[in-house]
Amino acid sequence: MKLFSSYNRILAIITLTGLIVIGFLFYQTLGQYINKQIDDHLYEELLEVRDFTHVKNILPSPDGFDDVIVDYKKINKLSDKRKYFADTTFYNPKKKHDESARYLKTALILNRQPYEVMIMASKFERQEQIKSIILIILLPVIILLLILWLVNRILIKRMWLPFRQLLINIKAFNINQEKVFEPVQTNIEEFRELNNAVLEVSLKVKSDYKEIKLFTENASHEMMTPLAVINSKLDTMLQSNALGKEESEILADLYKATSKLTKLNQSLLLLVKIDNDQLQDKEEIDLKALIEEKISYFQELIQKRELQVETKISAFSVFANRSLIEILINNLFSNAIRHNNDGGSMMVTIKNDSLIFSNTGSRNGLHPQKIFERFYKDNASDGTGLGLAILKQVCLKQNYELSYNYNQEYHQFIINFKSSENKSQLTML
Amino acid sequence: MKFLIVEDEESLRNSINQYLTVEGNICDHASTYEQGYQKLSIYDYDCILLDLTLPDGEGLQLLKYLKKINKADGVLIISARNSLDQKIEGLSLGADDYLIKPFHLSELYARVQSIVRRRHFNGNSIFHFNEIEIDTTAKETKVNGKPVYLTRKEFELLLYFVVNKNKVISKAAAVVHIWGDDADMADSFDFIYTHIKNVRKKLTDSGCKDYFHSVYGVGYKFTDS
Repeated sequence: MKLFSSYNRILAIITLTGLIVIGFLFYQTLGQYINKQIDDHLYEELLEVRDFTHVKNILPSPDGFDDVIVDYKKINKLSDKRKYFADTTFYNPKKKHDESARYLKTALILNRQPYEVMIMASKFERQEQIKSIILIILLPVIILLLILWLVNRILIKRMWLPFRQLLINIKAFNINQEKVFEPVQTNIEEFRELNNAVLEVSLKVKSDYKEIKLFTENASHEMMTPLAVINSKLDTMLQSNALGKEESEILADLYKATSKLTKLNQSLLLLVKIDNDQLQDKEEIDLKALIEEKISYFQELIQKRELQVETKISAFSVFANRSLIEILINNLFSNAIRHNNDGGSMMVTIKNDSLIFSNTGSRNGLHPQKIFERFYKDNASDGTGLGLAILKQVCLKQNYELSYNYNQEYHQFIINFKSSENKSQLTML
Repeated sequence: MKFLIVEDEESLRNSINQYLTVEGNICDHASTYEQGYQKLSIYDYDCILLDLTLPDGEGLQLLKYLKKINKADGVLIISARNSLDQKIEGLSLGADDYLIKPFHLSELYARVQSIVRRRHFNGNSIFHFNEIEIDTTAKETKVNGKPVYLTRKEFELLLYFVVNKNKVISKAAAVVHIWGDDADMADSFDFIYTHIKNVRKKLTDSGCKDYFHSVYGVGYKFTDS
């Protein structure tokens, strides 16, 4: 629920309950006041009846009153002299419908005879009055509340505007891009504070990230010289005439490990380089020609694994950095060859602005997000675990959409080159 | 040939020194900027192996100095920094090649020989190894005067072995030489066996002696002894 609707809901409940309670109490008070007025009037009429009888020695005619109905009833004994006031309804013969009324019932001696006298007055007009009064008072209050609610709504919407902008800017913030977090201009203290806090955090994150990148870069560089020493010592040992079978096998393992370490280091450095946008010079690259060139470049590896390579490539070119695109294609080929079965097949397709590499391989689909994580690899893999991470990084930097799926025993890697306009998809990756 | 190794890492310097000191080559070395500066002022070398990060100065300054005093020594930069800018700067300052650490000594020697070849014979150099004749310009191979058709990679491989003759070349070194660093294939050493088998077959089919000798699965040696 939005803050505003939550706030509004509470406000609406309080206002409505308040309005109902106050209206009820108001109505009750007014009703009692009116009753008291009628009761006074009825009592006056009773006094009038008594005075009239006293003076004229006859009972006044029940028709002689304008606004009240008087009724006498002879009783045997005067037992209860108390006056009873109560509500009732009566049939108004003039208006021909029932009306609520108020009556006064009492016993008293008239003309030396005990009588039960009932005087009744209609409450209709008074009730109408109450209705009008309540309407006159309540209607403006309700209208006022409505106006307040509307003003509130508009005001709050406008006041939250910088907050919304802030949210958009936070979401747009990308650690990988040069663009820093964009602060929002606002006069509201709270938002300004939030703004500053987010700005600070984003700057800190950026500098930390930069530091980590720098550390990775330096660490990898520092490792290159010792690696060079190891390599050169291995090469020197290899020249020894005293090399037996056992020593040679050890050397072969050492070479393998050193190569892997070197490759790992180079991959980390490459990732940093891509991150830092160090590969900038762009040119028009004929993808079709490049792929054909790469197929012949990888030919020996393809032949060794007895892979069937099929291509469905239409003429297509991209405007990008050549090194990056070569890394991209190299990694796709390496991946499709390395993770294939002997005698398997692979397919390279270009259609609808997309480059698709499909290859046979393990029988199970892979995790579509995890495979692009750094150092994620299945147990059988002998690679560095960075190939696909590099692929992802290149795509991220070039705003290409990269996706993986497993379809009818084919692992598919799809790169959509034209997704550059669609930034939202990029952040999902 | 006479080389100068300017490298502050002693063990690396020694290994290079040991590897290059064959067939009458002479290696001189310097471990600091100052030493390097003095040596290249006084002597002439066929090729200078220059490390860019020295304890007391920048290797690129030595390169600038060398050009300033108009020396025609070949220069091979060896650096741990794989930065494109530095590479471009080094080459534009007159270095002949740029080799990134870590490297294999066989690769280093091949590059050095290539530099010397380019400088001394204007790149038009024909290698002879007994009955084999390799034309590095036309990229042609002949056995007993008859051309042998080799693919581009096979040619590169043969040339690599011939310039490193009598040395054991590890499979790892051969893979890097043929494939470069781009492909994530550093661990697939075994396919180099197929490659060498192909080259061997083509050569022996043309009546060439088999000079490739396998060294217990770790590498190969090209030799006629």
